[in-house]
Amino acid sequence: MTGSPEQSTAAAEREAECRVIDACRDGDMAAFQRLFEAYKDRVYSIALHYSGDDATAKDISQQVFMKLFNRIGQFRRDAEFATWLYRIVVNTCMDEHRRRRRFVPVSHTVEAREMSARESQENSYIRREIDSAVRAAIAELKPKLRMPILLKYVEGLSYDEIAEALSCSKGTVASRLNRGHKALAQRLAHLRSALVAEE
Amino acid sequence: MFRRHVSKELSAYLHGELSAVDARRVASHLQDCARCQKEFDEIKLGGALAASLHRVAAPDALWGEIEAQLKGVQIKRERAVSPPAARPWFPAILAWPPVVAVCAALLVVSAAGFAWLYLRPARPPAWTVARIAGTPITDSGRINKTGRLAVGEWLETDGASRARIKVADIGEVEVGPNSRVRLVATRATEHRLALARGRLEAQINAPPRLFIVDTPTVTAVDYGCAYTLEVDDTGGSILHVTAGWVALETKDRESFVPAGAVCETRPGKGPGTPYFDDVSPEFREALKKFDFEDGGAASLDVVLSETRLYDTLTLWHLLRRVDEDQRGRIYDHMAELVPPPPEVTREGIIQLNPHMLALWRGELEGFWE
Repeated sequence: MTGSPEQSTAAAEREAECRVIDACRDGDMAAFQRLFEAYKDRVYSIALHYSGDDATAKDISQQVFMKLFNRIGQFRRDAEFATWLYRIVVNTCMDEHRRRRRFVPVSHTVEAREMSARESQENSYIRREIDSAVRAAIAELKPKLRMPILLKYVEGLSYDEIAEALSCSKGTVASRLNRGHKALAQRLAHLRSALVAEE
Repeated sequence: MFRRHVSKELSAYLHGELSAVDARRVASHLQDCARCQKEFDEIKLGGALAASLHRVAAPDALWGEIEAQLKGVQIKRERAVSPPAARPWFPAILAWPPVVAVCAALLVVSAAGFAWLYLRPARPPAWTVARIAGTPITDSGRINKTGRLAVGEWLETDGASRARIKVADIGEVEVGPNSRVRLVATRATEHRLALARGRLEAQINAPPRLFIVDTPTVTAVDYGCAYTLEVDDTGGSILHVTAGWVALETKDRESFVPAGAVCETRPGKGPGTPYFDDVSPEFREALKKFDFEDGGAASLDVVLSETRLYDTLTLWHLLRRVDEDQRGRIYDHMAELVPPPPEVTREGIIQLNPHMLALWRGELEGFWE
């Protein structure tokens, strides 16, 4: 029995990814560059929103890809590669936070390279104000509330995927997101009317 | 009729992560429960705000920097010589007859050891101590590999020594260099050490208040956690909690310290105000002045200006340590960061109403842990 076209496409993509990963295991630098291109924005986005600082985000991203290169032999095919990679990203962010203890608050460089799909929105002053306030409030959250919010809203992961990336239960993810949402709402209650106006 | 509130499920409901049955239950509850509906509005606002986050393009130069590092790694790998394959050891040993004899002898010795353990006269309760480095000493002598620390005995390390103590069956304590520790008590309801000077690192897995460490100026009470505690020559101490909670107690003051937070104590001053270890240097300095150098309102101004959401931990403790005027200022600042539950009033907090303090703390703890 054959699956739907979407299923076939997903299976083909997964198969292609497996071939790239196998090549990476053999030390193929070109294959590793393909893997880098596929995941660089995801890794960098989490690192940037987590640290709030461009230079730190670059450091974290470099560390992540170096770990990926050194550990790719440990990746098991029965797991989802992206989730495995997110776990490396999460651990690297946490380690870097522990090392630096205090990340610099969100810098304006975040705004400089946002994806083109959002560019028209960014021209709006209100939208920029909201974005900036949200990033500052995110940077104020404790790391364990911050990371689930980023994985949910930047990466669009499900609770199961977040739980796997954070090595915790789905219930813990739900609880941390609850607290994260409340913290943001309480911190930025004054933006409620601006959000409604935007809608 | 009793209704179970659904506040813990609201984010999962918002994100469509509940089963159909649970989603219907939550939806139905929200229609009738104003409290949960209000919370849901808050969760939705938080979600709408977070939705403004989005993916950011990585800088173009990133690959070049990674590629340079990767080339270095590859060169090292190519130069490395493959180690010889490990030979299986287990069958070879089995095939070696003298080993069988040695095993038998060991069995006899073990049996004799067990017999001796059961028949010997009773000794005072003790914990096992293992040497990590140098030559730790107890009142019974040097510890070469492992030894005992009996109730009432001291364990001392010099500048080059470290030791690990097994705390009954609830955890371990690593004693750092230049430390002096005494086992005060060990029984089912209490395991107690005294740290006269130096540093210890505790990893405890036990119900609250079972493991206690006395220092010359304060008592550290474990609430299921991991922490380091250092005592200097004046008797002052610094506590750094890495998991769970620890309470620092004296007769008239206590500080609750969660993971990620620090609390200092000075002789004659009791435990200071706890703070998270990533606060700004200005915050840390001002708090130190407030706690130990009569910094007063000027120090409080700096602390308030540097406070983030989860630094309400510090403000919460300061509420009990300031006069009513300052308490009002702290209340206003905290309420701006984390609005108190409806039952909590400004007047009640200024009067240190225990019920209101407990209610608000319940709300705040979510941001501290």
